Amino acid sequence: MSLVRRVLDSSALYRLIALAIFATIWQLATLSHKSMLIPTFTDTMAAIPKLLIPGYSGDESAKLWDALYQSNGALLIGFAISVALGVPFGLLIGRFRTIERFANLYISILLVTPMAAVIPLLVMSLGVRDGAMPTRVILIVLFAIVMLIVNSRAGIRQIDPSLIEMARCFGAGELSIWRRILLPGSLPAIMTGVRLGLGRAITGMVIIELLFIAVGLGNLIQKYDAQLDGARLYALIIIVVFEALVLIQAVRWLERRVTPWRKTTSFGR
Amino acid sequence: MIEIKGVSKAFPGRKGSEPVQALKDVDLIVRDNEFLTVLGPSGCGKTTLLRVIAGLVPHDTGTVLVDGKPVTGPGPERAMVFQSFALMPWDNVLTNVAFGLEMQGVDKKTRELKALELIEMVGLGGFEKRLPGELSGGMQQRVGLARALAVSPKVLLMDEPFGALDEQTRRLLQEELLRIWEATRTTVVFITHSMEEAVLLGDRVVLMRPRPGRIDQILDIPMTRPRSTHLDSVESSGEFTAMVGLLWNNLRAMHSDVRRARQAGQAAATKP
Repeated sequence: MSLVRRVLDSSALYRLIALAIFATIWQLATLSHKSMLIPTFTDTMAAIPKLLIPGYSGDESAKLWDALYQSNGALLIGFAISVALGVPFGLLIGRFRTIERFANLYISILLVTPMAAVIPLLVMSLGVRDGAMPTRVILIVLFAIVMLIVNSRAGIRQIDPSLIEMARCFGAGELSIWRRILLPGSLPAIMTGVRLGLGRAITGMVIIELLFIAVGLGNLIQKYDAQLDGARLYALIIIVVFEALVLIQAVRWLERRVTPWRKTTSFGR
Repeated sequence: MIEIKGVSKAFPGRKGSEPVQALKDVDLIVRDNEFLTVLGPSGCGKTTLLRVIAGLVPHDTGTVLVDGKPVTGPGPERAMVFQSFALMPWDNVLTNVAFGLEMQGVDKKTRELKALELIEMVGLGGFEKRLPGELSGGMQQRVGLARALAVSPKVLLMDEPFGALDEQTRRLLQEELLRIWEATRTTVVFITHSMEEAVLLGDRVVLMRPRPGRIDQILDIPMTRPRSTHLDSVESSGEFTAMVGLLWNNLRAMHSDVRRARQAGQAAATKP
């Protein structure tokens, strides 16, 4: 394939064009309607390196990296706990209906309750002192874990029952059935849960810091907002979104790595 | 030898309805090295019978003996081939075929050697590293067959194994199965809903009837072995046509019985 053809075929090109159109409209709109709250595209872009590169603009980047560290610390711990508890629990209730009968109502509650409504309650009882790391971790778990539970359960449920029957037929016990059928069979759904759970964990992280416990990125967003510093505010939000995208893409990559058989659904590759 | 004596099996009905009598007082002897086909309309319990022999579902009454030992669960002397193939999509052909041996604790090298031998036998040489998703339905069922044969079973239990395949693939696999069976002479219990298939493959055909599931009659197939070398002339022979015709007469009678029973049931239900 020629280079021109390859460039035309790649979706990166179209993404770039879409971005260029968006940036142009943004720039023209903000130039024609001067506003203090909405920065121009170029101002926003100029603010990004100021925030990111140490020493580029005073101690601004130190604040950002500190905030990133604080927020991501809670995210990492909270998300790890969600995976470590949510996946095994989801798998168990998927396999054993009796356990599910106990848990079903509470999973539904977790799934439908608007978290923002419960957070004040938890913040009140768990405390907000010294950055409130444990409180933030627990809240992030509450945001994320339901995705891991529900998807892991679905993963077990959608396994072809004839595979389990086959394994039993060839002499597999419960342990072998888990190892050879249930775990690999539910892996794609588990990875979907990891991806969706990560999204929820990031959302949770920002909401908590923004609305209830002023630390980390949320705190920084509030500060720029209060200073009416549109360029930095927008730049910061772009950085947060970019981080989320990178994390989600990393999970997608992992998903493809651990479930290679999903690509091959029919003849050939 | 498989001895089935007075076996009954009922499944609990859906809420409010009566239990379904899948098998009632079934007596059957499967001889060593025989190819037994089981034929009947849907709901006649043929698949339940196979699953009882496999030890996958417990029977309510009666006894099932395999070589004199009562069946209490699955066992290594019985291997099954499934209609849905039941291959593990995450494992390649080699690992799938070796699965039964893996469960028996055979070491990796030995079981892969054995698996390769069977892969060759079912005509899939060179495909051992492929994933099931990369194979056609016919090739997938060859894998299923190789996996069952790999554990060197005394009895091969086949549950409508070619039911999900298209006509041409099915023909090829019937030929292949006969060729392999004529070489190994493993005892086979083969469930099918195709009259032609039952006659073409079997030494005897067990005809079952529904509601409750039971054995209607057992017919000897007169055609000589080996058949795999000249399947076309077997199929055009007078014996073949006569057997299929006989089976069809019986099945048609069953279908009209079922219809009459259903109409009678409806009439009774609508009466005040």
